[in-house]
Amino acid sequence: MVEVELVAQTLINGLLLGGIYAVAALGLSLVFGIMDIVNLAHGHMLMIGGYVAILLFSALGVTPLIGMFVAMAVLFVFGMALQRFVLDRIVDEGIEQPIIVLFGLALVLQSLGRLVLGSDAQSSEIGIPGAAIEVGPILFSFPRTVTFVFALGLILGTWVLLQYTATGRAIRATAQNRDAARYMGIDTDRIYVLTLGIGTALAGAAGALLSMLFPITPFVGWSYLLKAFAVVVLGGVGSIPGTLVGGLALGVTENISGLYLGGGFRDIISFSIFLIVLLIRPHGLFGSGGGGE
Amino acid sequence: MSGVTGNDLSALTATRRRLAAAVALVFVLAVVPFVTTDYVTEIVFTGLVFAMLGISWNLLAGYAGQVSLGHAAFFGIGAFVTAWLTTPGRAGFPEAIQLPMIATLPIAALAAGVVALVVGPVIFRLSGHYFAIGTLALATIIQLLLLDQRGISGGSTGYYIQSALDADLIYLIGLVSTVGMLIVASRVVNSRIGLGMRAVDGDEDAASTLGVHPLRYKLWAFGISSAMAGLAGALWAQFTLYVNPESTLGVVWMIDTLVVVILGGMGTMLGPLLGAALFLTLDTGLRSVAGEFATTVEGALIILFILFAPAGVYGLLESRTGGDDDPAASEESPEPTGQAK
Repeated sequence: MVEVELVAQTLINGLLLGGIYAVAALGLSLVFGIMDIVNLAHGHMLMIGGYVAILLFSALGVTPLIGMFVAMAVLFVFGMALQRFVLDRIVDEGIEQPIIVLFGLALVLQSLGRLVLGSDAQSSEIGIPGAAIEVGPILFSFPRTVTFVFALGLILGTWVLLQYTATGRAIRATAQNRDAARYMGIDTDRIYVLTLGIGTALAGAAGALLSMLFPITPFVGWSYLLKAFAVVVLGGVGSIPGTLVGGLALGVTENISGLYLGGGFRDIISFSIFLIVLLIRPHGLFGSGGGGE
Repeated sequence: MSGVTGNDLSALTATRRRLAAAVALVFVLAVVPFVTTDYVTEIVFTGLVFAMLGISWNLLAGYAGQVSLGHAAFFGIGAFVTAWLTTPGRAGFPEAIQLPMIATLPIAALAAGVVALVVGPVIFRLSGHYFAIGTLALATIIQLLLLDQRGISGGSTGYYIQSALDADLIYLIGLVSTVGMLIVASRVVNSRIGLGMRAVDGDEDAASTLGVHPLRYKLWAFGISSAMAGLAGALWAQFTLYVNPESTLGVVWMIDTLVVVILGGMGTMLGPLLGAALFLTLDTGLRSVAGEFATTVEGALIILFILFAPAGVYGLLESRTGGDDDPAASEESPEPTGQAK
């Protein structure tokens, strides 16, 4: 019976973690779906977001739940500047250029992170009092539960933004047909700038939330990039519900395979699943095939 | 060498002067271990490894248009194969499989090439961004698997190779391999295979319509490129006598490869050579000036080159010397680097 309880607990932990993965993936998915660019520095931006929250917590004692909004603001501006001053110049030149530039940016962020912040793992704590919720034998850990709720809030917020605001409509129009949107008077250059800003802000938010659960090092970028992209592939590019389901699925898979095969296999399994899904269903398990091939 | 005129190497070989310069350069490089210190030898050898990685990745990305981010995996496979075959005991393999170092080099290259040909048909179901991130995932999986199997890889403590051979000999083999790869790459690019590769890079659908089978040419490029990376990895392992899944299979080799090719000029034959020389000078120079910030500067350089000098140093030199006293230079057309899409 202990075994069943352990599995149930692992399942819950995986689901709660999956919410954050979905937030990270949503940012990547938006940018990919709308601009047809895979932000290879997405994981490193997540890392920066995590450090913003960690620094605010360790220096000022600000809870990462508030630090998250600062991280989002920082990365929103960073993402907009990146699009405005760098990617905008190369976006129509072919796919090699953005891939290489963003790979280079990831390298810059990683090495700067190592220099400024050191190679040691750092983490923050939730910083507000609260107790775990027990449901039968299963424990909903307080930080995991709160970060999950925040993650759901962010996903819902993004959905509302895209669905019900004028800017959101303009973003969706640009995603459908950039030229047509421009003829309709939409400033598509501005929409691209905003989209990358929103995408990277979501990476920052995910980093801040993760810093409460796991230590962050300057080297976590590649791993979270692959995880976020795995979720995008599972859920289908540009699909918000798909991304949420994909995130939860990845969180659960990872934790369950870690339980049965050992911690070393956690990432191996999730990356393998990602690669397999990518190969058999390039448009995702649930996806409509937004910005597909 | 005279048989390869009218191609990218023509700038090098069209005149006796250029041929003499190439021979002189090889000669200068060949005497490095005998007239300089071990420190200098190691730096120049690193440059040769960068050049090999650059030449091989350039074949796949610059000519066949397949931007792989998993090149480090094949470098690492080559390194581990030579480590296992020269020092089988450490991994628990029977001593009977032990081979002389020289014999393990082609096997290491072959192993990397075979792995590429096995995963190729599957991974080439992906294209563009999906291919880039798929290869990155593949390389990460290979690295994590080896890291987990400490028995055969040494885990994070690494794996020491026993060798009685002189490092100077490895250096010379490295030099010969670099020259060999350059010749092979230029032959391939100018053969029917190369024509097919470039057709796939230009417009895959159009090439396919005209009877070019895209997968076949992608596999050629992937197989040859990966075998070359495997040989580079094997030489690196034998030179340093140490392999480690974290560093030998690390993404850092992919980054160095990118820097070399982007600085030098993607899709040009001499670009990776120029890139490797420049990168080495920069890296060594920067470490003394910028210290720890060297890597940051290198990343920034990739971005700046793509933005302002997408044809690399080779492109800059060519546009400066174009229409010079040497007719061969203007005759030679720069290869498309993918902007044509």
